[in-house]
Amino acid sequence: MTPEVTVARSLDEALAALARDGAAAHVLAGGTDLMVELRTGRTRPERVVDVWKVGELRGVREENEGLRLGALSTCAELLRDSRVASHAPLLVAACREVGAEQIQARATLGGNLGTASPAADLNPALVALGARVRLRSRRGAREVAVDEFLCGYRKTLRERDELIESVLVPTRPAHERQLWRKVGTRRAQSISKLTVAVALAFEGACVSAVRAAAGSVGPRTLRLATLERELVGRPLSPALCRSAAAACARADITPIDDVRSTALYRRHAFARVLATLLAEPDGVPACPPS
Amino acid sequence: MSARDLHGPGAPWGGAEPGARSNSDFKVVGQPRPKVDGIAKATGAAVYTDDLTFPGMLHAKTLRSPHAHARIVRIDTSKARALKGVHAVLTGDSMPIKYGVIPWTPDENALAVDKVRFIGDPVAAVAAIDEDTANAALKLIEVEYELLHTYLDPFESLQRKEPQIHEDKKGGNISKSVQLEFGKVEEALAGAEVVVEDDYFFHGSTHAPIEPHCAVATYSADGVLTLWSATQITHYVHRALARVLELPAHRIRVIQPCLGGAFGGKSDPFSLEFCVSKLAMVTGRPVKMLWTREEVFYAHRGRHPMHLHYRSGVTKDGKLVGVDAKILIDGGSYSSFGLVTTYYSGQLLTGPYHFPTYRFDSTRVFTNKPPCGPKRGHGSVQPRFAFEVQLDQLAEKLALDPIEIRRRNFQGDFTRTVNGQRVTSNGFLQCLDEVESASRWKERRGKLGFGRGLGVAGSMYISGTNYPVYPNDMPQAGVQLKVDRSGLVTVFTGGNDIGQGSNSMCAYIVAEELGIPVERVRVVAADTDLCPVDLGAYSSRVTFMVGNATIDAARKLREKLVAAVAEKWECAPARVRLIEGLAIDLEDTARSMTSVEAFQLAETKFDTLGSTGSYNTPKLGGDYRGGTIGASPAYSFTAHVVDASVDVETGRITVHDVWVAHDCGRALNPMIVAGQMEGSAYMGLAEALFEEHDVNRFGLHRGPSLLDYRLPTSLDTPDFHARIVESIDPEGPYGAKEAGEGPLHPSLPALSNAVYDAVGIRLKHLPFTPAKVLAALREKRAAASVPQGVR
Repeated sequence: MTPEVTVARSLDEALAALARDGAAAHVLAGGTDLMVELRTGRTRPERVVDVWKVGELRGVREENEGLRLGALSTCAELLRDSRVASHAPLLVAACREVGAEQIQARATLGGNLGTASPAADLNPALVALGARVRLRSRRGAREVAVDEFLCGYRKTLRERDELIESVLVPTRPAHERQLWRKVGTRRAQSISKLTVAVALAFEGACVSAVRAAAGSVGPRTLRLATLERELVGRPLSPALCRSAAAACARADITPIDDVRSTALYRRHAFARVLATLLAEPDGVPACPPS
Repeated sequence: MSARDLHGPGAPWGGAEPGARSNSDFKVVGQPRPKVDGIAKATGAAVYTDDLTFPGMLHAKTLRSPHAHARIVRIDTSKARALKGVHAVLTGDSMPIKYGVIPWTPDENALAVDKVRFIGDPVAAVAAIDEDTANAALKLIEVEYELLHTYLDPFESLQRKEPQIHEDKKGGNISKSVQLEFGKVEEALAGAEVVVEDDYFFHGSTHAPIEPHCAVATYSADGVLTLWSATQITHYVHRALARVLELPAHRIRVIQPCLGGAFGGKSDPFSLEFCVSKLAMVTGRPVKMLWTREEVFYAHRGRHPMHLHYRSGVTKDGKLVGVDAKILIDGGSYSSFGLVTTYYSGQLLTGPYHFPTYRFDSTRVFTNKPPCGPKRGHGSVQPRFAFEVQLDQLAEKLALDPIEIRRRNFQGDFTRTVNGQRVTSNGFLQCLDEVESASRWKERRGKLGFGRGLGVAGSMYISGTNYPVYPNDMPQAGVQLKVDRSGLVTVFTGGNDIGQGSNSMCAYIVAEELGIPVERVRVVAADTDLCPVDLGAYSSRVTFMVGNATIDAARKLREKLVAAVAEKWECAPARVRLIEGLAIDLEDTARSMTSVEAFQLAETKFDTLGSTGSYNTPKLGGDYRGGTIGASPAYSFTAHVVDASVDVETGRITVHDVWVAHDCGRALNPMIVAGQMEGSAYMGLAEALFEEHDVNRFGLHRGPSLLDYRLPTSLDTPDFHARIVESIDPEGPYGAKEAGEGPLHPSLPALSNAVYDAVGIRLKHLPFTPAKVLAALREKRAAASVPQGVR
């Protein structure tokens, strides 16, 4: 049973194909997820719309509100872009740990969001950056916070005729610290046991604003509300790092046992990793961890 | 041993000193140089089995069992046969004769006849115009199963007799059981100063070669079957095909193309080899089958999980007095090499240390899991892990340095083990010295602070054994040389180059013996029509046996060349030397001719030029049942020091450096030897820290993909420091012994011992996952907080 494939050459063609009546179409971007799903038979779409050649979905632009990243931006492109590097080092760090170079060359920002796997590495980074996703259909465009967009296990707020067009990463506040850590089953080319992304703004010695998110420790990319509450308005002492991380591991995450790790280990390691990460002067490694 | 088998370890032109130990007497041997097929592999020009394609070729796929243990009630293939593009469908009744690599335990069918024994067991095969059509046809095959009790726990297989996984097997679900005792162990242990008794567990692991299994067959109009297969033992595949297909062996030709890794995982005859052969015979078309990565995981034949119980005693000086082992081996669903595995689990532990008394009780049972078999360090990596950790426990009780206790128990060279194996050269002490000084053991061990430590372990391994899997007195390795008037020498060898460099080894030896550049030697290997029989690439036998056979053949040819030149120059043959592509007169340096001229002169004098050579092991082994299994003409020895740290927050172990010293007799090409040493250590650490081959509660493989079966990446890999030790074995080719499997063994126990030095926990159950490390650390803290006297 081979699906019907539409190769869209422009945004209009893609939106027209998605708006067609009948069975909902699957969107194919880099294919790192869908091609595997097709082969295993877990997904059996009747229609596929291939958007890989849609130029309007590519590229990085600076806008007043921040940096706009096209949905087809690949991990490899994001890794090479100096604007992304200075603006969202958190995202670059996450991109660096996605798969191998071959996967990085195909895996896209839009694909990560659209698939909405709880183990997706880029999504916690986007949530911590306060990013907003722009959805477009023939009916028009709308913007949704990534945090809300990822609404369940492999579920999003995307309507069947909508396409993920771009992502806006708001301008980085001065002195914002961005922290990222992935724990995999090995140091590269692994699906994460857990990921954690944190953006911290300061006023003087005190934390003034926090956004934090985690992957692979719940059914969706999780916002770490307890951690955020515990940290805001306080100086980031080692004791606070430990207690806030412990509270967060108790309240914010719901890990399970699976082939990659156990719930017990994930909860334990999550608290330790988060505490260590918060205490680091710069939580984003400058080069791949060795 | 006949003279043809032994040429001494010296350089071919060593003159007055036939036993010369110096590498400087060699022109080719002993120098780092690329493999003969290196460029072809690096540029992608090398032809692997899946690269082969023929006009009209069909593609075959296998239907596999979704049940771990079931009787086949009914199979209906009619819908599959009716599908457009399908040429043939096979089921088990088309090939009912059982086979197995060990002739005493044939228990496999190419396709299941009446029962399936693990999830993934082959049930039917389809040949069609392409893979998609073949896959579509598989879905149309109807199979009705009657489910049977599933055995996943080896302890249950030991107790429970019904239902039997193999109904024609005597003794319930026991595959093989061996009890041997050498000396009086109980008496010895009763007199020991310190006895340590403990349990250890080795999990399952698999080979994961980069090339999946693949086979292509053609059947000619005159009834010749040709099979190209990614196998590491062409000869046994040849024999198995003849048996199962009921064809005379002379009508079968088996060829092994370039191979993308094996590590033991391509040693058995496999279902796909029979299926493509039969399908080619039925359809009259060439047929190819390429397994998916998932299928490679089901085919398995990987390292056996073992539950190991050891009890060892030492004197107050740390000298071993006795070792007692009880081992339960989880064999999976078929016998494979299991008979040998069971013996090896006990027989190969008796060096490099002197055991005054020794006893082992090893039992292999069947379970409904993918079948286990030989993996690099077959049968002996698991007991070595347990024993080398136990040796550290003994050293700790005596407050002895772990290297020192190993030194004190060294068995010596040219000796005999407690179980009757003959040991020749033995460079183990030098291996210990090398890793001790290179790791700065004395300054650093126990002084790196909490969280980081050093560990040591030793081992020995065979360079082939004198036990051919089917009993016969013919040579174990044969080589044929053919000389061309152009100056080219072609080596025909049945030896299988599986990436270890055996073709290169043959070329180096011929070049060395005939004084010609390596580029003038071409090697044709592993083609049963063209090459003399060799028993294949397993048990680390190829360098030792094929190498000796190559020297044997080359010396006979050299004699003819020298005689022809001497006759022409009217001088004594002793004055003629073949060197650097020339024949020269040692006493008249002005007189020389090219080797091409020498070849032509010899062809004129002697007729068409060629020679044969062979090798057979001397009589070896203990005089008892099983005493020849594990009896090797020479043993290699290894020592490792591992430097590791433990993150007590996450439980993650990081290995920083591994020093590997290995006694390979003589390094014919030190670059390849060092590569084997590093690759072995990598593979051992991978098993210790990352890889796990296991099934879930239904018997389904837990992660049959390279994403979930975790090979370490380069970022996970420590720095390896290979130290080659050359003990110059009197019987090896130029003194060489094996280097491909021995250096794996100490990786795992040395790491466990390093973790003990780092944080004080004994890891005895593999693999060392972060969760296990954290649990052990918790246990240790809990024990420490219990007040004295309460426990």
